[in-house]
Amino acid sequence: MVASSPLALARRRSEFGLVLMAATITGAAYVLAALGKNAQMPATIIPFLVALLALLVFAHIATRWLASGADSTLLPLAALLHGIGYVMIARLSERRAALQTTWSLIAVVAFVATLLVVQRPSDLARYKWTFLFFGAGSLLLPLVPGIGSSVGGAKIWVSIGPVNIQPGEFAKIALALFFAGYLAENRELIAAGTARLGPLRIPELRYILPITLAWGFAVAVMVAEKDLGSALLFFTLFTVMMWVATERAVFLLIGLLLFSAAAYVAWRMFDVVQTRVDIWLDPWSRYEGKGYQPAQAMFAFANGGVGGTGLGLGSPNKIPAASTDYVYAAIGEELGLVGATAVMIAFLLLFGAGFRIAVRAERPFEKLLATGLTTIVAMQAFIIIGGVLRLVPLTGITLPFVSYGGSSLLANYILLALLLRVSHSAARQRGEVPDELTFGERREARQLRKQARKQRPDDTIGMSPA
Amino acid sequence: MNRQIRKLVAGLLALYVALFAALNVTQVARQEQLADNPLNNRQTIRDFNRPRGQIVTADGVVVAESVPVPGSDQFSYQRSYPTGDLFSNVTGYYTFGFGSTQLERTQHDVLMGDTAAQKVNSLLGGADNSGSVRLTMRADVQQLAAQALGNREGSVVVMDPNTGAILAMVSYPRYDPNLVAVPDTKAAEDVLNALDAAPGKPLLANAYQENYMPGSSFKVITTAVALENGVTSLDRSWPAMTEWVPPQTVDPITNYGGSSCGGTMVQVFYRSCNIPFAQLASELGPDRMTAGVAAWGVGEKLPIDLPGAAASSFCGNVSPCDGSFFKDQLPLLAIGGFGQGNDLMVPLHMCMVASTVANKGRMMKPYVVDATLAHDGDVLDRTDPQVWKTPMNVQTAATLNTLMIGVVNNGTGRTMQLAGGIQAAGKTGTAQLNAAGQPESSHAWIIGFAPAEAPRYAVAVVLKGTSAEISAGTGGRLAGPIAKQILDYLFASE
Repeated sequence: MVASSPLALARRRSEFGLVLMAATITGAAYVLAALGKNAQMPATIIPFLVALLALLVFAHIATRWLASGADSTLLPLAALLHGIGYVMIARLSERRAALQTTWSLIAVVAFVATLLVVQRPSDLARYKWTFLFFGAGSLLLPLVPGIGSSVGGAKIWVSIGPVNIQPGEFAKIALALFFAGYLAENRELIAAGTARLGPLRIPELRYILPITLAWGFAVAVMVAEKDLGSALLFFTLFTVMMWVATERAVFLLIGLLLFSAAAYVAWRMFDVVQTRVDIWLDPWSRYEGKGYQPAQAMFAFANGGVGGTGLGLGSPNKIPAASTDYVYAAIGEELGLVGATAVMIAFLLLFGAGFRIAVRAERPFEKLLATGLTTIVAMQAFIIIGGVLRLVPLTGITLPFVSYGGSSLLANYILLALLLRVSHSAARQRGEVPDELTFGERREARQLRKQARKQRPDDTIGMSPA
Repeated sequence: MNRQIRKLVAGLLALYVALFAALNVTQVARQEQLADNPLNNRQTIRDFNRPRGQIVTADGVVVAESVPVPGSDQFSYQRSYPTGDLFSNVTGYYTFGFGSTQLERTQHDVLMGDTAAQKVNSLLGGADNSGSVRLTMRADVQQLAAQALGNREGSVVVMDPNTGAILAMVSYPRYDPNLVAVPDTKAAEDVLNALDAAPGKPLLANAYQENYMPGSSFKVITTAVALENGVTSLDRSWPAMTEWVPPQTVDPITNYGGSSCGGTMVQVFYRSCNIPFAQLASELGPDRMTAGVAAWGVGEKLPIDLPGAAASSFCGNVSPCDGSFFKDQLPLLAIGGFGQGNDLMVPLHMCMVASTVANKGRMMKPYVVDATLAHDGDVLDRTDPQVWKTPMNVQTAATLNTLMIGVVNNGTGRTMQLAGGIQAAGKTGTAQLNAAGQPESSHAWIIGFAPAEAPRYAVAVVLKGTSAEISAGTGGRLAGPIAKQILDYLFASE
């Protein structure tokens, strides 16, 4: 499936150019950060550049080979965000940079593997129930005694040997797959509202129950794990997918009402939520305690100003969790308003491209999947950037592609691969690339031919005599 | 479904616009407010991670420099003052949590390499573009002055009368800036609080940030004003008197120790009789006397290139200080004529007074910074000597020179006679602080210059009357030997 149409070739060519640009920016930033921090060229510059180029070219060749018709901007944008994030992490902590390097490798391999394994998006719809159980199971894992562990109050980690995993990062993709699969199948029934409640027409319980249960379960588990950011993300994901699938704004309204009610109840019932709101409103008077982190983030942004202090020249180490939740503040300090805006625009372009894929997709499942996956990235970035900027109360989640964290990086590259797969599929359906058979389909065809030969040796499929 | 997706995009776009607005509010609109927040020490961290240049004396001794901080992940450098407390009143300190003072504050940009010229230079290469400051002061003279002063409260100022360049300026008590330049802000705060509360105000430089009653050393100014106004001349003489009653009172003015004192202008000056100078001030009257004193810069903040300089005063704390203040207080005016009453002089200013006589009537602006240098040693800025005041003409200055030679040769300042036959000129002062009947308390002063015929050094010494030993002495006995020791050294070291 090497790029086989002029359009596909053009897309891949522009992707290659953009990927090289992202690599150039990342390489330059890496050098500048080392110069700023230690006033000397980084000792690891050659291996770094080689690894950087190798990874990006590997990913690019994979799209050429496996998704030649896909959108050309997604991979470069992800690479740029990943690169800026990596430079920031390397500048903050060498130890974490080493781990992030390993995870970057794994993530890109997973990206290619996903493209390789998932050759037809519709295959995924068939496994929607599997994804539901996988997602639900992942969410429950951190609550299992012995392997679950908590960091910073949130019990969202699973420790298996030396590896720490955040299963929630994968659960969000699994649940988006389930929602997309289920809603693609039942959306009309839900939208039609065949049952009645007084004057209102409501969907029949049996259609809406599974998805509501799945969603309620996810949110409940998230709250139990005190992972409010993810709870908010799931809430948004579910509401948006219901709305887009049914085309009925009432679901948006219901979602908003439910959210307001849930937020109020959570605020009344959970100390952790009250504390979050308090330090959001006034971190200064709590500077010696929980207000320290948001206050330091504010100082970091102010220290950066318009142009930033320059990479390696600020003090982002003063912000607790500067490489994870607060990585955006570290970027704001050292790259300034200009750099922070660039990162924001990269996210805008990323989710713009994601929704363009959703619009272009012709099958409901693919449309809904692209919508769900893109919503995850867009909302996750908004929730954490808004939290860091104190636009909304902070709920700790990672900034996709940028933050330190293997699970997050891995999950986001898988998400990226799925989006590219949908994009390629849409291009194929629109006739922009030839509709070639996938490996799986070819193998199936071969087997069918063999079987047929066994049954009727003189009659072969595809070569039947006229 | 596409309609919903487009609406969703519009909604998310709105959220991101809000994000962008919040980013601008934080990074631009509220930047200064956040930067000024006392909890925010990022600027400090940034500054303490860059090298900062040296402050060096004229004779090449480093008095302030940056040294690596052992074992701190936040800061690369801290400030070190190799000469300890010796130059603290000039360099000031540069702390992590409590700002900076004196040259560390005023020369911050040069030392950090932040002046426009240095920034342009740094574009051409070189990561370290910190500048340095070269003082006019000499470490050897400063050391000698500090030794001579010992642990007696007071000040010694030595300057070049022809340029205003300060060669030494030392005060006691002082402080060791190394103690407040440590990264441990709690420890630094404790030291600063203790220094703040300590007697003698060690954080303030007595030499230029405080003023004291000048006693008879002020007679130089009174005489100059009287000579300029034609009220006296070298030909005038006074009969020996033990007391004189000025107008508006019945209380008589007496001489030092109640002695009988009189003679020619030269004699009353070297004997330091009080009554003739009280009479000169009275004869000048409130308007001419205050105007004449103001011409010497009394009442104005001293124009030295260090922050927080004090002003001398002829009217105590009253301002404006003009004739109207003395209209109904003629006895106070008379007393002011010999440096008592409401007179308050900054030690540095008294050194400038001696310098003005030495420099033929021109009072130079005092300065401690000879030049600021870029990292490669190129001069960024050099201080040009400037005339501050011209309170008297050449003739008056020559007359005062003669009078002050008399003090050293025949009068109260004989302790200042120099080695090697070098002619010094001077004037002593013993400022009586106690009212009649109270325990003795007095500041001991001497001001002077040498060689009298072509002066190269001017000096002012004051010992504060905070101890019985000093209060029992006189300017001639206590301050004179210090001035002599320093001047002798200066000529011997040439």
